[in-house]
Amino acid sequence: MLQNREKKRSYYALLMPAFIIYISIIIFPILMSLGLSFTKWKNYRMVGFVGLQNYINILKDPVFQRSIWNNIQIMLISVLGQIPLGLILAYLLYRKWVKGAKFFEMMIFLPITISSVVVALLWNRIFSPVGLYTSFVRQVTHNPDYVVTISESPAFAMIPILVVLLWQHTSLYMVIFMANLQRIPDSVFEAATIDGAKEHIIIGRIVLPELAGVIFTCSVLAISGSLKSFDLVYAMTGGGPVTYTYVMALYLYQQTFTFANYGYGSAVSIIIVLLSVGLIKLANGLYAKAQKKYE
Amino acid sequence: MKNSREKKISTGTLAFSYVFLILFTLVTLVPIVWMTYSSFKPMGEIMMHPLAWPAAPTLANYKKAFEFGHIGTAFLNSVFYSVFATGAVVLLSVAAGFALTKFGYKSSKTYTGLFTLGLLITVNSVITPLFIMETSTGLYNTRIGVLLPYIAFGLPMAILIATSFVRAIPDALIEAAVIDGATYTAIFWKIILIISTPVMATISVLNFLNNWNEFLLVFTLTSGQDMRSLPVSINSFAGRLNQDYGLQFAALVIGTIPMFVFYIFAHNSLVKGFGEGAIKE
Repeated sequence: MLQNREKKRSYYALLMPAFIIYISIIIFPILMSLGLSFTKWKNYRMVGFVGLQNYINILKDPVFQRSIWNNIQIMLISVLGQIPLGLILAYLLYRKWVKGAKFFEMMIFLPITISSVVVALLWNRIFSPVGLYTSFVRQVTHNPDYVVTISESPAFAMIPILVVLLWQHTSLYMVIFMANLQRIPDSVFEAATIDGAKEHIIIGRIVLPELAGVIFTCSVLAISGSLKSFDLVYAMTGGGPVTYTYVMALYLYQQTFTFANYGYGSAVSIIIVLLSVGLIKLANGLYAKAQKKYE
Repeated sequence: MKNSREKKISTGTLAFSYVFLILFTLVTLVPIVWMTYSSFKPMGEIMMHPLAWPAAPTLANYKKAFEFGHIGTAFLNSVFYSVFATGAVVLLSVAAGFALTKFGYKSSKTYTGLFTLGLLITVNSVITPLFIMETSTGLYNTRIGVLLPYIAFGLPMAILIATSFVRAIPDALIEAAVIDGATYTAIFWKIILIISTPVMATISVLNFLNNWNEFLLVFTLTSGQDMRSLPVSINSFAGRLNQDYGLQFAALVIGTIPMFVFYIFAHNSLVKGFGEGAIKE
């Protein structure tokens, strides 16, 4: 009896510190955000309830529409660029055909440790008229006047950011895939080798099916990660030139902290949450469907 | 070395592997090397000979960075935020992991579900209300006002990793201690924490890295120079609009070095941590 009471008390003493911090800083603000998203603010004061008006205005705003398209580009480069490249790197390193696999792995993984702000500013220098990339192209093409102009183009302004994202995050997926490749029993490879299976058969019949689950997990990580991109874009372009490189989080930041439109900003954040939950649900559904098909 | 991985492959495949890996490594390393040696060049040389090695290496850029950028303060703040937030996350997540897996209470399932939900929620979806909450409670621009969200956002992933580790600890161990008359609190401090050292290492390394590189929270929840962390400080004195490239390069190198040192020591735990985070789904 006494022991039971002690047990219950310990349970709450162990759990509650984490739970209270978590609830008050993550769950409560989300609910507050939902409430705020129906309100209008002026001069740092709430001036009224506007129903769904904020949501309607956001969806109509061409800057927000561009932000969504830019977020989609980031999503595409993550899922179709970083994940396949990471997979190839992981497989090459896992099979240990090359000498110095450990060295390659350590070097390629390095950018993971660098903060996005530093990465952004470094690549701004690289693409600048006196930068590494520009000078390199000038030497190779013998064109001393070459400069990077793609970031000025309304249609392709995101390209430099996408290149940097590939540089920054590909190795994350490489490491995740390596950890999972190591879980495939060696006997599977031995059996395949004895049967004389060609490399592409091993990849197609053993490696990819074994990794299907983790490729899916990585895609979910990549999708939710790409919706929240802020640091890199903010430090690299600040959304410019004009609004060519705006992303949703930057739009949210500007509404809340530059214009003090707390209601409008909250509505943007609710849209981001809904989009990320929706996309993940969709991915889950597609994955379940695909699994059924192959069973 | 296992035989199965050393089977003969064609020269073409081998050549492709080398070319692919060497190219990738070069693309990763060359920018970092270029940034580092450029930081020792005066402005004129950076403009005239962008690729060249410094003719007469100088520390002037670094001197300026420390004088104008308050790099010393920013570095200490980063250490403060990262160390305390990581310490709290490690302790709280193992405690919660123990409570959620070894007590057999029905409510555990609900709590676990709520914590898992947190994996989907990002900083920018709560930043507006958090800012309002902190300005109205006086937590805005204080160290504790930064630490609390750091801890909160570290918890969901840490609890996920801790829970699966603690679950695997044999129940018999805990039952034996209970029979010997140990309280559950004592079991936590004297048994669970000791056994959990490996998972605590994984969680700390992952969490420390995230905290060290975090930008948005410090950027929006503090205003004073004396509260800023390294990334925020670098962005404000050597940001995109800064024209002093030498100063900028020095700032970037200063922002990179501490994590390189950390990387050399923590590489294996980091790899393990990232791998584990994605396996558990």
